[in-house]
Amino acid sequence: MFENAGSRLKAWLVAGIGTAAALALAGVLGAFGARHEPMQLLAPTGRIETGQWLLRPLRAYTAEGENLYGAPLKPGARALVFEVEMTNRTAKSSKDYFDVLQASQATVDPSSKPFIVLTRDSTLSPELHPGMPERMAYIWELPGGSAPPASLDLTVIRKTYKQRDNLYGLPGWFNPAPAGTLTLPVGSGPDTADIQP
Amino acid sequence: MMRKTANIVLLLVAVAFCYGLQVSKPHYGDLIGPIPARGKMAETIVGRNFEARAEKVAFARNLKADRFGETKILTTGGVWAVVTVEFAARAQSTSVAVASWRGPTGLAYDQTERMSFADGLLPVAIDPGLPKKARLVFELRPDEASNATLLISEKLMSALDSQAEISLGPVVIAPDGLPAGTVDTLDMSQPI
Amino acid sequence: MTAQDLVQQSGLGERKWRRRSLWALLLLIPLTFAVEVYDSIKALLADNDLFARRVAWGQSVHFGGSDWKLTDLRGAFGMANLPPDSVPVLADFSVKVGDPDLQKLWLGCKVMLIDAAGRRWAPTSAVTLKAPGDVQTCTSAIFSGAKSGDTLNLRETFLVPKDVTKTIRPAVGLASERPHFLLFQLEKD
Repeated sequence: MFENAGSRLKAWLVAGIGTAAALALAGVLGAFGARHEPMQLLAPTGRIETGQWLLRPLRAYTAEGENLYGAPLKPGARALVFEVEMTNRTAKSSKDYFDVLQASQATVDPSSKPFIVLTRDSTLSPELHPGMPERMAYIWELPGGSAPPASLDLTVIRKTYKQRDNLYGLPGWFNPAPAGTLTLPVGSGPDTADIQP
Repeated sequence: MMRKTANIVLLLVAVAFCYGLQVSKPHYGDLIGPIPARGKMAETIVGRNFEARAEKVAFARNLKADRFGETKILTTGGVWAVVTVEFAARAQSTSVAVASWRGPTGLAYDQTERMSFADGLLPVAIDPGLPKKARLVFELRPDEASNATLLISEKLMSALDSQAEISLGPVVIAPDGLPAGTVDTLDMSQPI
Repeated sequence: MTAQDLVQQSGLGERKWRRRSLWALLLLIPLTFAVEVYDSIKALLADNDLFARRVAWGQSVHFGGSDWKLTDLRGAFGMANLPPDSVPVLADFSVKVGDPDLQKLWLGCKVMLIDAAGRRWAPTSAVTLKAPGDVQTCTSAIFSGAKSGDTLNLRETFLVPKDVTKTIRPAVGLASERPHFLLFQLEKD
């Protein structure tokens, strides 16, 4: 195919330079940036933005399972409660907040889903409306016989908006990814004070 | 030379034309969306399967409702909007289940889910020739109260089916930031 | 044979095939269309009560594996707490079960009232009237475990405007028989 060693060398060089250029471009565009980025530590006294939601952590505590915002816990069970002010940042009423917070596996059973309650009138997981902050309580049932944790580690998950998804061509929030972690002191009982006004 | 220039011009025209086609093409979401039936307050809006007529809008700071015999006061961080709507079925019995309040800036407030125990709310079953009133209850920001549009459809996925779009008109905002005429407590246990 | 002849001949053959292809389109396009719409038409027919089979008063008709007969259609006048100018209507059927596989044959059972203008009323939940113990609705009868030869008494309650009570006729549709449905005539028809 190639008439002599010179042109073969030339072809190798062109191919090599092409590959190198492609790799460099991908690097510039951030294809490798996602690797090994340490998880961001989020300040508990502040606002956390997750795309759809604006979170303002208020307090965390453990309590006996009775009269905890009407959550249907097993009788006598202890629960870990995390109260947070949530604001819907999107243009539509939504209840896509079930995966926003993940408690660390050391404190709660990873298979147990929290009850999410509107503290205003103990409605179980209602839709939250655009631009209206509401105080919500995430209630995890603690495994029986475990000591109450001294602190709560939460991973905050954010999603990305797509004008048109690949399946239906409709707008929506997709690709959940961790935005950072958060550590709160865990108080005892529902009288625990808020960590920020 | 002339020929080359003409070819380039033709190529550019073709690119511009294709780009025009691409940007003006309706997207799938628009093609299969609901079909609007527009109207104003107190007008009868006729959809494929149902008719709707918005009679009045009331604003309140709190709602009072009966829940299993006990009185419950529902508070809100914004303001409650209660719209009384008369529905009627057209050719066959059906039910209307979905409504939302679209504010002047385009924010969409779905019906509240905090009153699922109360009577007279959606979903409402309707029969031909027998008009029936229902209340639509929304919780919204006071600045989304004026010049809003009420969207009503039979089902959540109202693809290619009618959606009544009722313009509710301007609402005067009082100095306290709430719509003028906002009552302190609206009793939802009263008959419509 | 000269080269020109060859060119002409191959041109002729090409023209012939082009013509054949164009004619074939006349057949192929409608055929493609038919294949494309086949499933949609099938779904349309299977989901809607489109063609009425009239049943004379007092007659019993084989439908969905059983014998259907309208026994009574009457209004329950004078009830309180109803919308103005409305009246509850009761439709009673007596069904002799033939094929007992009701869960398959009676699936999607729909009893309705149809007036002269073609408007359709579905059973209501706004009115509850006391019924004798053995009376069932169409849907509850599906799970009654009725055997072949049993007779089921079905009753459906409707709410209709007073002015249509003269022209309404009861009708029954079953998924296994769609797009056909039964339209029962009354004694006076």
